[in-house]
Amino acid sequence: MNGPIDVDKLRHEIQAKYEEVVGQPDAEFHFKIGRPALERTGYEPEWYEGLPEDAIGRFAGVANPFHWGLPHPGERVVDVGSGAGVDCLIAARAVGFDGAVVGVDMTPAMLEEARGAAAKADSVNVEFREGLAEKLPVEDGWADVVISNGVINLVPDKLDAYREISRVLKAGGRVQVADICVENAVPDSALGDVDLWTG
Amino acid sequence: MTAAGLTDVGFGPRVDTFAGAEGEEKARLFGTYGYPIRARKP
Repeated sequence: MNGPIDVDKLRHEIQAKYEEVVGQPDAEFHFKIGRPALERTGYEPEWYEGLPEDAIGRFAGVANPFHWGLPHPGERVVDVGSGAGVDCLIAARAVGFDGAVVGVDMTPAMLEEARGAAAKADSVNVEFREGLAEKLPVEDGWADVVISNGVINLVPDKLDAYREISRVLKAGGRVQVADICVENAVPDSALGDVDLWTG
Repeated sequence: MTAAGLTDVGFGPRVDTFAGAEGEEKARLFGTYGYPIRARKP
């Protein structure tokens, strides 16, 4: 236990939730997934046209990290909580063969899904690594851009996560994340409720 | 984000992320929406 939430329990529940997304993408979740989520959050169809349907069907983003534009050719991108890999594959197309993309996720089933999608998409400039947002397996100052979608809200210590994002960015590097924000105060009693964190 | 040393923080358009999904009721309770968020490392 660390603060109002049991961190180990929370991570276990998050992994279980996203294993469900991998195994049962047609089930009902507390959030929309797949193509409806891509359409709702404002992704341009040409960004994901032709990407593996297995990955598209498991997309679980909450908004559009590419709202301000795609990464540029030749850039290096880190995706914090890369899930089924859709954002990494979009970024990999954008940066081209002179660029590189690293997706980081803590859920082995999602990593396996994303690696399979990258192989199907012939994306040789993207790799997926197991790790936590608070301890990214990426060297200091490596990235031009850090993206993330619907993940930081699940991290108990958000300051730690943003410090890690800053660490892996080059000076002048950009953060383009998408996440959920609450507009009403959340009572202390709710902060320790794992069910509210995950669903 | 600024506490982590990031600057130029900005928000994009709000998305009603949970509309029509199982989590809509809880999302409404706390006014929960999706946002694109940007920042820069100086």
